[in-house]
Amino acid sequence: MSQVRIRIPEKIKPGEIVTVRALVTHPMEMMAFKGGKPVEKNYDFIHKVEATYNGRKVFEAATTQAVSQNPFISFTIKADAPGVVKIMFYDTHGKTYEGQAEIKF
Amino acid sequence: MNNLRRTFLKVAGGAGAVAAAVSLGLSISGGAVAQGAAPGMPLPDEQVADTLKRLFGNRPIQAAGDRIKFDAPLIAENGAVVPVRVDVELPMTKDDYVKNVYIISDKNRRPVNAQFAFTPDSGKAAVGTNIRLASTGDVRAIAETSKGAVYEVKREVKVTVGGCGG
Repeated sequence: MSQVRIRIPEKIKPGEIVTVRALVTHPMEMMAFKGGKPVEKNYDFIHKVEATYNGRKVFEAATTQAVSQNPFISFTIKADAPGVVKIMFYDTHGKTYEGQAEIKF
Repeated sequence: MNNLRRTFLKVAGGAGAVAAAVSLGLSISGGAVAQGAAPGMPLPDEQVADTLKRLFGNRPIQAAGDRIKFDAPLIAENGAVVPVRVDVELPMTKDDYVKNVYIISDKNRRPVNAQFAFTPDSGKAAVGTNIRLASTGDVRAIAETSKGAVYEVKREVKVTVGGCGG
């Protein structure tokens, strides 16, 4: 399992809107073309990102090959309770990449 | 499943079968964003007008004004990594919140770069990522609220070297 690097601000006040930044190492394979036609093969890219905060889903993304290699994604959550932010990346070959960060006040 | 995919590709490859492809795509994926729908498989090229029609139907797309703050570079030297950031300045309450944010680049073969879904727990619909751009053209940030309103910001990004490999 490749790891996800995830960063949140060090100091958080209760109720604050926090930006979570996540970075995962992934080739995000691009579609190949031959004679103007896409080559039919099983491309390897991340197609889904999910973030949960204390088990509640707060953010979800559907990504395509038009997202850069080693995808970086930042999003916001409302930090109203101490807990764990967990982010999962799913690629088209069935691999998952998981990262988590702890929110404490 | 594999058989379905074959059919999907065959249908999608046929001319003028966009509508058929879309409905098939949806039946396979159960309504997820169609461009991420068939994991790992190439999807048909699409014009941006068709994409918008597929995503928003006949709902009017309003200019966002200052409802959306969209940061994208004026000139991207490398189309493979173009940092963009979307901040939607709309309230996130239980009954009216920003449901989806789309990043769509007009000149890409398949215009949808990414779709981001939020919940009221997000606090604010703000997202940043790096996208690939094939060539110079408009990049749109589109926000869709839970009540169905659609707001759009367009920014032209000049791309020196394309990042989508053909």
